[in-house]
Amino acid sequence: MNLRRILAVSYKEWREIVRDRLFLTLAFVVPAALMLVFGFGLTLDVEHLPFAVVDHDKSAASRDYLHRYIDSRYFDYRGDLESERDIARLLAASRIRLAIVIPPRFGERLAQGRAVAVQTLIDGTFPFRTSSSKGYVVAINSAYNGELLARYISDRMGVTLDAAMTMAQPVKVEMRYMFNQEIRSTWSIASVLVMFVLMITPPFLTALGVVREKENGSIYNIYASTVTRGEFLIGKLAPYVGISLLNFLILWLLATHLFGAPFKGDPLFFALASIIFVSCTTGIGLLVSLFVRTQVAAMMLTVVVTIVPSVLYSGLLVPIASMDPMGQFEAHLFPAMYYADIVLGSFLKGVGLDVLWGKALALALYAAVLWTASFLLFHKRPKA
Amino acid sequence: MKFLDDDLRGRVGLWLWRFWAMMLKELIQLGRDSLLVFAITYLFLFDVYMAGNVGMNLKNAVVTVHDADHSAASRELIYRFQPPYFKLGGEMADGRAGQRLLDTGEALVVLDIPPRFEHDIQSGKPTAVQVQVDAANTVLGFLAASYSAQIIGQYGFDQALARLGVSASALENVPMIRDEHRVWYNPNQKDAWFMPLSELLVVITIMAIMLPAAAAVREKERGTIEQLLVTPLSPIQILLPKVVAMTLVILLGTAASILLVLHGVFDFPMKGSLALFFTVTALYAFTTSGLGIFISTLARNLAQAALLAILVLLPMIFLSGAWTPPEAMPAGLREAMVLSPLYYFIEMGYGILLKGAGLDILWDSLLGLALLGMTIFGLGVWRFRRQFG
Repeated sequence: MNLRRILAVSYKEWREIVRDRLFLTLAFVVPAALMLVFGFGLTLDVEHLPFAVVDHDKSAASRDYLHRYIDSRYFDYRGDLESERDIARLLAASRIRLAIVIPPRFGERLAQGRAVAVQTLIDGTFPFRTSSSKGYVVAINSAYNGELLARYISDRMGVTLDAAMTMAQPVKVEMRYMFNQEIRSTWSIASVLVMFVLMITPPFLTALGVVREKENGSIYNIYASTVTRGEFLIGKLAPYVGISLLNFLILWLLATHLFGAPFKGDPLFFALASIIFVSCTTGIGLLVSLFVRTQVAAMMLTVVVTIVPSVLYSGLLVPIASMDPMGQFEAHLFPAMYYADIVLGSFLKGVGLDVLWGKALALALYAAVLWTASFLLFHKRPKA
Repeated sequence: MKFLDDDLRGRVGLWLWRFWAMMLKELIQLGRDSLLVFAITYLFLFDVYMAGNVGMNLKNAVVTVHDADHSAASRELIYRFQPPYFKLGGEMADGRAGQRLLDTGEALVVLDIPPRFEHDIQSGKPTAVQVQVDAANTVLGFLAASYSAQIIGQYGFDQALARLGVSASALENVPMIRDEHRVWYNPNQKDAWFMPLSELLVVITIMAIMLPAAAAVREKERGTIEQLLVTPLSPIQILLPKVVAMTLVILLGTAASILLVLHGVFDFPMKGSLALFFTVTALYAFTTSGLGIFISTLARNLAQAALLAILVLLPMIFLSGAWTPPEAMPAGLREAMVLSPLYYFIEMGYGILLKGAGLDILWDSLLGLALLGMTIFGLGVWRFRRQFG
C-alpha cells in the first residue's frame, strides 16, 4: 500500500467527478431531493377515506349514527345511494373505499331495545388501508355501543347517565406511545429515510465507476501502471465515500432540523456506524461494477440490490417483525435492516453501543465481505 | 395512380424493414449482455416473488404483561391477546422492566393491569389499563394500539353486560350495533394479493424508464451514434425501434411474472380481462419510455442518466400509491398524484386483475394515462429530434 499512489488515483477520480458538472450536482441533489419528497409525503396516517351510505331507515337515529362517520376526519362523506347495487360500481372505480348499509327499522329496533346489524363493505385492495379502515369502523361502533348501553342501563336501573356511562365502560384504556408520543409518522420516517437514501444513492454513484473504465478502455492505463489493485480500489472509492459522508451529514441535518426528529442517542456511535454503513453501500456499488461488463447491466443490477431491499426489507414501510420466516430471512441478507435499527435506536429510543453493538458488528462484517470480494474479483490481468 | 401506389408501398416496406433491422439489433444487443438479462429476469420473477413474502399487517406482536392483580378477570383480559395479531411474551414482576423490553425491541406492547382490577370492575368503580406501545415503527405502533384498544374495549363491554346479567343468548335484546364488516376483493386481506402486483407494476416502471434511457445514452457515450447518423435512418427511425424493443421485453417479462409468480405461486385471482391488462401495459410501457428518452437527451453518460432516472423514478413511484395508500398522502401531494403515470396504471392494474372491472368503469383512468403518456412521449421525442438538429 503506497499512500501516494492511492492519493493519485483518488485525485484523478476526483477531477473526473468535478469536471462532470451535472454528475457532481446530481450527487448532492438526488439525496436531498429524495429526503424532501419522502420526508414531507411519506406518511401512513390514513385519513379522508371516501365513503357512501345506503340508508334504508332514514330516521333521526340512523342520521345520528351516520354522523359519527360524516363528522370524523378519517372519513369523507360522498353521498347517499339508492340501493346496494350502486356500491359495487363505486368501489370498483375507487370512488369510495367504504360503504355503510343501514337496515330498515334501524331506529325503531334500537328504540325497542333490540340489536341491529349494520353492514360495512370495505375495499380490500390495499391491506394496510383495509386494516386502518376496519380499525376506525370498530372504534366508531364501540363508542356508539357504549353510549347506547349507558342509556339502556340508565333507563333500566334508574341511575344517572354519567353513572351508567361508567358502568357501560368499566375499563378505560390509557394508551401511551413510547419513543414517538404523537405517533407522528414524520419522526420515525424522517429518521429511517436517512437509511433509505444512503442505501440507494452511494451504490449508484459508484456502480458505474469501474465498469465505465472497463467499457471505455481507460482501465488499461491502470493495468499498465504500477498501482496495485488494492490501491486502485481504495483510491477509486475514496471520493465517493467522501461525497456520501457529506450527504449523510446533510441528511442528518434535514432530519433533525427540518423535520424535527429528535436525536437522543450517542452522536459518536451513530457517526461511526454511519461510516461503516456508507462504506458498505459504496462497496455494493463497487462489487456490482466489478461483476459486470456493461454499464447498463451495472445500472439494472444496482436497482436489484438497492431500491428493492431498501423499500421492502429495511423496515421503512414494511415491519420486519411481522414478516413470515422467508421474508425475515431475506431481510437479514441486506444491510438496510441493521442500519434502520441503528437509526431508530439513535434517533427515537436514545440507545447506543450497549444495545446496538450487534447490528454495528453485522454491518462491519458486511462491509468487510464486500470489500474482500471486490479485491478478489478485480484483476489487473483480466482473462478475457 | 398505380405508380404512386407502388412507390408508397416501397417506401412503407423500406421503412418497416429498417425498423425491423434496428429493433433486432436492440434485442440482440440486450440478449448478449447475460448479466443484464439476469437482472431483468430477477426483477420480474424473484423480486415480485419476494414481495409476496412481506406485508404491512400486525403478526405475532409480543405483548408483555405486568399483572398487579392476578385475578380471574385480569387473566381473562390477558388471554384475549391472541395470535394472529399478538403473542404473549410472559409476565414481569416489575412495571419498570417494561421500558427496557420496549427499548431493546423484545416487546412491542406492554400491558399494565392495576391492583384491585377485578374488585373495581365488580363493584362498578372505573378502572384503567395502561398500554405502552413502541411507536418507533409507525405501522406496527398504530396497528398494535388500535387492536389493543379494540380488545380492551370489547372486554369492558362484555364485563358490563355480564354485570347486568345479560347472557350471550339474550344479546339480541340489548340495544346495540352489531358490526358486520365485509372486505371486498381480498376478503382475508392477504398481503400476497397486494404486494407482488404492486411490485410488478413498479418493476415495469423502472424498466420502461431505465432501459430506453440506457439504450439511447450508450450510443452517445460509446460514439456509435456517429455510425447511426451516417445511415439513412431518421431520428424517429433510430428511436422507435429502441422503444418498441424495450416494450416487447417488458411485455414478455410481465407475462412470465403474471403466469409463473402471481398465478403460479400466489394464486392471484385474475378476475378481469388479461387482454385488456396487457394492452394497458403496452400503452404504459411505450409512453413512459418518453421519460427515459427525455433523460437520455439531458445526460452525456450513463452515470448521469442513472442518477437522473432515480430522481424521476422514485418520486413517480411514491406518488402512485404503490407504497402508501393515496388516502395517506398529505394534502397537496394527494392532488399531485395525477401527474404520476403510475397512479393510473396502478388503478387499472388492480381494477382489472383484482376487482374484475372493465373499460366501462376504468375509462377515466385510461384516458388520464393516455393523455399524460402521450404528452410525456411527445416531449421525449421532441427533445430527441432536437439533439440531432
